Amino acid sequence: METFLRTWLEWPSVAAFIAKYTWAWPLGETFHFFGIILLIGGVGMFDLRLLGVARQLPVAAVRRLLPWGVTGFIICVVTGLMFVTGTRANVPSSPYDVIKSNIWLQMKFVFIGLAGLNLLAFYVTGMNRKVDDLGPGANAPLTAKVIAAASLFFWLGVIYFGRLIPEGL
Amino acid sequence: MQEFLESIENSTFSSYIRETPSVLGYSTVLALHTFGMAFLVGLSGVIALRVLGIVPELPLKPLKKLMPIIIIGFWVNAVTGVILTTLAIRSLLANWDFYVKLAAIVVAIVALTKMRHAAFADPNVADDTPASSDAKRWAKLMLLSWFLAVLGGRLTAYATYIRIQSAAAVAVAAILLVLLANILVRRSRSTAAARRASLAAAASTRKLEARV
Repeated sequence: METFLRTWLEWPSVAAFIAKYTWAWPLGETFHFFGIILLIGGVGMFDLRLLGVARQLPVAAVRRLLPWGVTGFIICVVTGLMFVTGTRANVPSSPYDVIKSNIWLQMKFVFIGLAGLNLLAFYVTGMNRKVDDLGPGANAPLTAKVIAAASLFFWLGVIYFGRLIPEGL
Repeated sequence: MQEFLESIENSTFSSYIRETPSVLGYSTVLALHTFGMAFLVGLSGVIALRVLGIVPELPLKPLKKLMPIIIIGFWVNAVTGVILTTLAIRSLLANWDFYVKLAAIVVAIVALTKMRHAAFADPNVADDTPASSDAKRWAKLMLLSWFLAVLGGRLTAYATYIRIQSAAAVAVAAILLVLLANILVRRSRSTAAARRASLAAAASTRKLEARV
């Protein structure tokens, strides 16, 4: 398993690209931030509505923002993969060793996983269908509120641990 | 002047935030700055998407309720921004990129305020009414200014030639993405319009059949 991860996590071509083109890393960082903004603007906004913010908004209309949040997440994943696979351009260690030794990066991955499980709970509990009927002024069921609060907590945790990663390098 | 700036940089508070081995120092202030940015730019961006007609399903008036969270995001960023500036104030004040970022933030806040006034001025307007052209202009200016502010913030740490190259690369990538998004939005709108038209046609057929 270790050999498999060591091989597949390290992409020398990505590291060489980052080392050769000095704009590549800042470009990735900037888009990582655009991704965070889209994620909070889409998914965070949906969570806030379920929690009762701007309650006059029908949930089905707010759901139209979710593709923007998903786009933000995809941008973050692509740029994040660039940071991981090209780690050696900035740090004299392999990505595998960095992930193994950096508690904040591990926490970030754990929180991304928890956010994913939370999303799964949203569908498994049937809340995704229930909240769609919520019109202007309607209150979300308690389960939906708990899932929305957990979603905001996990995504903010992902951002927080992401900012702590340099502390563990 | 240099001595004054040095005294700010070396104050007990700034030294603590910069040098403490605890993660509750510099990194946490940086994380709070990111939280503030995400809510300030993300939620004001939601209002702009509605004002520009990109997400027309959202009723306009209730979006005004997002303003308190946007304002909290702004103040979190203002306070953490001042703290982060005091940590390296001499190098930042000598950095033109820092002034670009500050100018972009000022323009974005002015545009946000103007957009809010233009979009929410009439309390009797119907929720599905398109926003005024004035509100749309301010929304576009705000989004462009946020783009420059975020870009400026990210590039502050780099050397000038890397900043220029990176800014050009980000601009090219952003233009390509906006063009792609534009195509996708248009396609999804035409699909939605075709679906509405076919539903309406099916309904009128049913009515005709019922009459017969």
